[in-house]
Amino acid sequence: MTCVVLWLAAIGLPPLLVAALGHFGLSTERLRSAAVACAGISVAACSAIFVVPALRALTVAWPGEAHYLLGDALLRVSEFSAPLVVLPSALWLVTVAVTPRGRLDRAGLKRTALASLSLTIAFLTESPLVLVLIWILSNGLFLEALGAPKHRRVRRVVGFYLWGSAALLCAGIALLTVGIGGTTGAWLIFVAILIRKGIFPFHAWLPEAFENGRLGPAVLFSAPQLGTYVAILLVIPHATPGMLRTVATLSLITAVYGGALAVVQRDARRACGYLFVSQSALVMAGLDCTSVEALAGSLIIWISAALAFAGMTRTVLTLEARRGRLDLGVHHGGYEQMPVLATSFLVLGLACTGFPGTLGFVGEEMLVDGAVRSFPMLGLLVIVTSALTGIAVLRMYFSLFCGRPAAALELRLHRGETTTFAAIAVTLVLAGLAPQPFVESRIRASHTILLRGTENSGRATRHSSFSLSRSLIAERGSTEPQRDGVLESILKWRPGIQLGSQVDGDVRNQLRHQQRVRTSIALLLFLGGGPALSQEAEALDKTGTACGGPSSVAGQIEEDARAREPAFRFPRVDDWPDPWSRGRSSLPTSMASSSASITTAPVLERIPHRLEIRP
Amino acid sequence: MNLPSAVLSASVLIMFVSPLVLLGLLSLAAAYPHRFSEKVVGRWTQLALVVGLAAAITGLTDYLTTGSDPVVISYGTWFSFGHGSFAVEFVADGLSLGFAALALSICGVVSSFSFRYLHREPGFHRYFIQFSMFVLGITLVALAGTIEVLFAGWELIGLSSALLVGFFHERRAPVVNALRVFVVYRISDAAMLGAAILLHHWAGSGSLSQLFSSSPSSVSVLDSRQVLTIAALLIVAVSGKSALLPFSGWLPRAMEGPTPSSAVYYGALSIHAGCFLLLRAEPLLAQSDGARVLAALLGLSTTIYATIAARVQTDVKSALSFASLTQVGIIVVEIALGFRWVAFIHIIGHVCFRVLQFLRAPNILHDLHDIENRIGGHIDVAHDDVAPLRRWTRGLYLAALERGFVDSLLDRFAVDPFCRIVRRLDGLDRVLSGGRHGAGEGP
Repeated sequence: MTCVVLWLAAIGLPPLLVAALGHFGLSTERLRSAAVACAGISVAACSAIFVVPALRALTVAWPGEAHYLLGDALLRVSEFSAPLVVLPSALWLVTVAVTPRGRLDRAGLKRTALASLSLTIAFLTESPLVLVLIWILSNGLFLEALGAPKHRRVRRVVGFYLWGSAALLCAGIALLTVGIGGTTGAWLIFVAILIRKGIFPFHAWLPEAFENGRLGPAVLFSAPQLGTYVAILLVIPHATPGMLRTVATLSLITAVYGGALAVVQRDARRACGYLFVSQSALVMAGLDCTSVEALAGSLIIWISAALAFAGMTRTVLTLEARRGRLDLGVHHGGYEQMPVLATSFLVLGLACTGFPGTLGFVGEEMLVDGAVRSFPMLGLLVIVTSALTGIAVLRMYFSLFCGRPAAALELRLHRGETTTFAAIAVTLVLAGLAPQPFVESRIRASHTILLRGTENSGRATRHSSFSLSRSLIAERGSTEPQRDGVLESILKWRPGIQLGSQVDGDVRNQLRHQQRVRTSIALLLFLGGGPALSQEAEALDKTGTACGGPSSVAGQIEEDARAREPAFRFPRVDDWPDPWSRGRSSLPTSMASSSASITTAPVLERIPHRLEIRP
Repeated sequence: MNLPSAVLSASVLIMFVSPLVLLGLLSLAAAYPHRFSEKVVGRWTQLALVVGLAAAITGLTDYLTTGSDPVVISYGTWFSFGHGSFAVEFVADGLSLGFAALALSICGVVSSFSFRYLHREPGFHRYFIQFSMFVLGITLVALAGTIEVLFAGWELIGLSSALLVGFFHERRAPVVNALRVFVVYRISDAAMLGAAILLHHWAGSGSLSQLFSSSPSSVSVLDSRQVLTIAALLIVAVSGKSALLPFSGWLPRAMEGPTPSSAVYYGALSIHAGCFLLLRAEPLLAQSDGARVLAALLGLSTTIYATIAARVQTDVKSALSFASLTQVGIIVVEIALGFRWVAFIHIIGHVCFRVLQFLRAPNILHDLHDIENRIGGHIDVAHDDVAPLRRWTRGLYLAALERGFVDSLLDRFAVDPFCRIVRRLDGLDRVLSGGRHGAGEGP
């Protein structure tokens, strides 16, 4: 317990210390040094999650009876949230380490520290009430950063969207809390999340905030993607498949849209904004929960995109501090003076596009591979997005670092800047080259997320007053459809069912998933599903669709596997024909001579005859 | 499935690892350019390529002497997830080992040339990093046993190609042309992955590597429309990479890069990577007459276009690039007609011949002066182009000068509409966000 308290203190005190130091007469540069040190401590403390196993299962319960609004626990670190806890501190460290001196201000440093702390707390909790409070607090901190008169218009626009999203979130949670209008409540929360994440058609504020607002606070506000976290915790466990598919479709449209608009931008900040919109939408697209792999892929893109965008936008700010506003229609030059920054920017951009060897590639590979069977449109549109973002990134790279510098400016970077950018790029490459531990972690997290859906669906039949499933059942108003709804929800949510539809499924995994389904249905039977549900389970057992009784599971799965085995067998690559193989006829001499004669063609006349060019 | 011999397995591993290690070392060296001289970089590159080539020759010899069927060599997985994984899997057969040996030998020759050609060039280290990235990419493409490995190599080739086109980045033209090349490559990449995804979805295979399976049963579950769709996407991918019509416009633009890179990319290996992919996918192509006809028509039209355009180019590298394209078109026709052997031998011969021409191109004036000094006078070159032209010949001449208006047509019917639509959307976004109306400028 002492260890946990110390750990929480190590996470929470450094930002509070920076905020407190801001009130004393410390110079801005000294306050920045203190912030860098505190952010480093905070990152180290958060990273302890990966070293101390006890911290990965930390749960601090609320005193008293559980309630939906309070959540199951005040603080909870899970497999899913563990890497996210580190993210705000890491972004804070990057922000304070490379912010140009001319743009430093004491209020900004305090605000950054508090924003980092609030987001860290958000990723440590699963309580709807705390999440709503942090949602509102982060809105306030971001809007406060836009307090200067020149940002008045942007502040008004952004405030309209963000306070609107906060209001919708509050309304949605209120509806779920009182247990009426469950579907409406879930939709309200989803719309709030779409607004905050800048998903089409609620995306317009985000590029505007990047372009005409303050880029640093905008990244710190957007990159951790609190909206995605809230979606996973509060909505996905209760959402209907149709709801998820709608959101995924909107997200895919946004991903392509953002990529396309990033290609044609003239302003580097706005291009960054659209690139972020695109990547952020890819994460939401994976939440369609088509498969465990796709969901895990989106979770990886989440981390990768956050780090990459933090680096890219900070690069833009670093260059702006030396050159002023960056027009992408001009080639600014400067590669020779800052090759590390240029290379880092390219690597970070490539990580966003899913280039092989980066963490982004791993995420996109999993996203596409996981969704290709049941939602092929996702795979195809992810490819289109990747192509568009790749073009946008390379265009930015060429514009920002190639060409001849217009003036003899001092463009060299400080050691701290060089180190920070290189460190982010190296992190993404190393994580991409050896991704297996992280992939396994995200796979486990995805399982947890999908299982939570089932648990919540099961809980709905018992006594929870706040489950969306219960609300849905109540809205239907009859007994039989209730059971249909619950069972349908489980079957829809079970990863085993979905994976079971794959042709080449692993039998052991099938068994595991089937057992989980069986357990869930048994739980439902125990909790009051009644005889009718039992009949449904038996019917399912007979058809082999979902589960079997304790004695028949293995046999049923074998039968399923046989039934799902394709009528054909794909030969492996060793069946490829080989012109060198012995079993085949050798190349006829006539063919060899004809291939040689193909190269004889008229000579290009302007070239001297000794150096003939033969088309 | 045949088990690979230890020699073959080790050879393929070395072929793959040597450029990978080289890339890592050169990347580290680039961080400290003053500590690692040009000589060190040159030696590392040559050592890696000699080792890779020796491994390729050893592997090919071993395969030819001991094996008869293609061998799949698996080195485990890069990462695995649920039911999927990124298998580091290579296929060793005559085609893959032969192409890899060819690629490594050509890269060795060109790296040796580059070492002297780029002496004291400011971007010396950068060039060799991008060159090693290309070596790794072409090796992966040659040996790929899965679509993921193929895609990784395909991407490495594309990126290194674009970066090398923009090598002299202080000038605007190379950078603009590099972006243009990259755009075409991205379209090509997207088409290839799209083909893989559709095959995965329609055929239900757990492994995308089956895209290139030779057995008729592999496509038996697909109807003719599906096979045609997949093959057509594949042909688009090949067209982008090998500069077939309508993507041919990027090829002369790519000549902005250093001559050695032009030699290895557009005279030799990169431009043939598409043909190699088509050779691999020929069994799939054979299942659809429509796809074969499409490929043959593309190849034929590209050949006719390139041979006409080559005759009016005023710089030697552009002329050589179109000359390469002419042969690439013929190779595609050969593959479409099912002459796989002819196509492969044609690739080998053309690669060697064209690399020599490209590498000699910078010396062409020097050679000309040398010849004139030796013969003691000017070489009398006939100028047929001053002869009076008929109307249709004049039109053809103008079209050839404009490189068939390929770029203008693409700009008019694809790029401009895309940019116009997207800019309007951007304007709409600005209105929605209460900002000023107006939009940026496209690439």
